[in-house]
Amino acid sequence: MSMKISIIKPGLLSTIQDIGRYRYLSQAVPVSGVMDELAHRLANKAVGNDDHHATIEFTYADASFKAETPILVSYSGDGACMVYNNELMPAEKPLFFPAGSVIKLISNTIGTRTYLAIAGGWDVPDIMESKSTYLTAAFGGFKGRALQKADVLTSGTVINEVSKWILEQLIDRSLTYPNWRISRESLLPEQRQAIRVVLANEISWFDATSIISFLTNSYTIDRRSNRMGYHLSGKPLVRKVKKELLSTAVAPGIIQVTGSGDLVILMADCQTTGGYPRIAHVAAVDLPLCAQLKPGDTIHFSEISRDEAEELYLERERDLSLITMAISLKYIKT
Amino acid sequence: MTEQVGYFEADIPLKIYGLSEKSVTITFGTAIDNDLLSLITDFNQLLLQNPFSGLITTVPAYTTLTVFFDPLSVMLSDLPGEACFEKVSAHLNKIAQTKREKSRVVADKRVIPVCYGSDFGQDLLTVARTNNLTETEVIDIHTAGQYIVFMIGFVPGFAYMGGMDIRLSTPRKEVPNAKIPAGSVGIAGNQTGIYPLETPGGWQIVGKTPLKMFDVNRSQPSLLKGGDLVTFKAIGINEFNTYAEI
Repeated sequence: MSMKISIIKPGLLSTIQDIGRYRYLSQAVPVSGVMDELAHRLANKAVGNDDHHATIEFTYADASFKAETPILVSYSGDGACMVYNNELMPAEKPLFFPAGSVIKLISNTIGTRTYLAIAGGWDVPDIMESKSTYLTAAFGGFKGRALQKADVLTSGTVINEVSKWILEQLIDRSLTYPNWRISRESLLPEQRQAIRVVLANEISWFDATSIISFLTNSYTIDRRSNRMGYHLSGKPLVRKVKKELLSTAVAPGIIQVTGSGDLVILMADCQTTGGYPRIAHVAAVDLPLCAQLKPGDTIHFSEISRDEAEELYLERERDLSLITMAISLKYIKT
Repeated sequence: MTEQVGYFEADIPLKIYGLSEKSVTITFGTAIDNDLLSLITDFNQLLLQNPFSGLITTVPAYTTLTVFFDPLSVMLSDLPGEACFEKVSAHLNKIAQTKREKSRVVADKRVIPVCYGSDFGQDLLTVARTNNLTETEVIDIHTAGQYIVFMIGFVPGFAYMGGMDIRLSTPRKEVPNAKIPAGSVGIAGNQTGIYPLETPGGWQIVGKTPLKMFDVNRSQPSLLKGGDLVTFKAIGINEFNTYAEI
């Protein structure tokens, strides 16, 4: 049986997202999907879902929803805290709410985006093999648009065994949650302003001073920042090679340098191809940190090698699969 | 019938760079060129027919082919090398050593009906005046050409095409339009293109096609793909409306 919520207040920008739409890049369909893949995956894991299950991506706070049926949900991210009956709800933990519960997102000055997972995932049609919303072309997610007041969202009817066991343990007439939680902090570096990068193919197009400046100066997230990309303000870079880059594939995390020497970090909804030279790409493990940045935040870049970035990625994946295993072991029935 | 025209430079390793932890890019050349396009199209097809474990998708562009993969599957594969970059590169170089046969990929030909001028092509006169032509001459030249799709990029279904007659070259608008309707056919510099979605844009709009250039309900949502050969056919408003009703 599916679970149901209704949106009371949608907040600034709330969309259904999953881990992205990869198969249609050659037709210029962007990856889209969640900005903070780590928070999305942890929210899913906490309710026994698979990583690909769709979540709601909330931007900042000032949103609320009502459980129309009993629901098993979990949230993660830094855009907001969830509150129920004036009680702060723990993140990265399965939460069982009885029907009629009203849950509010209240301000959290740390970051930008928060993910709400439900057992079975949010049930919206697959468009090109993904449930992600792409607003520019108005497809995917909930009717191709951002969530609005009074929208009713349902969960998928098929839920994982682990989700069933969690639900069985928590089901009650009032709010319940277990004593365990996933430690998101242990997966994130303490220094969230330090973004690790791998230098890109066109690095030799920039003069030495600019490369040093890129790796030592701070940059501030500009107001022109959204799901497509972040403009950074800081010292412009100088190119020594002035030739044109013929449009070629790009991906989220890539840092382009515009004609005026400014940096743009490409994010989830970025175009599939670009013609600006690239100075670096953000290490995949640090992309979730970027997803939580907001205008005015200051960051700096530190260089790592391609192999280090890959090793960090594989290590993160090992940690995440251990979390999945640990959760199912808690509930396995022998 | 196949005619052998050579190899993918069997003895020279491909030029490959890492784009992210999940992608690498092969550089096949340095300039926009029809032969390079067919080489990239052929290589792409060969790779998709002979994928390595973990291959997700590929993105062809003017001079490059980018390969997206799942690092975990690549690491579990028995491809030689320590890291994903080496493993994927090893597979791509193996593909490059495959004997190349001519006409591996036969270009699809697409005829795009266009209703030129009036409300659909408000800049037709600008293009004509810029080039000292009449509006009819602009339409004649535009429909006489054969265009080749180099790549799809910018927005879903947008084809970067080559082959426009330079007699139609017109600079882009200084102030872009806030809204250009889907299906609008435009000219910017030496390029011509079709807007698949309603987006802002600075191209000179000469007409509109009733075809859906991008439709999520089709198995191939983008009507055009890299390597396609395109011609434009002038249609009147009545024919346009007939198409639009389908």
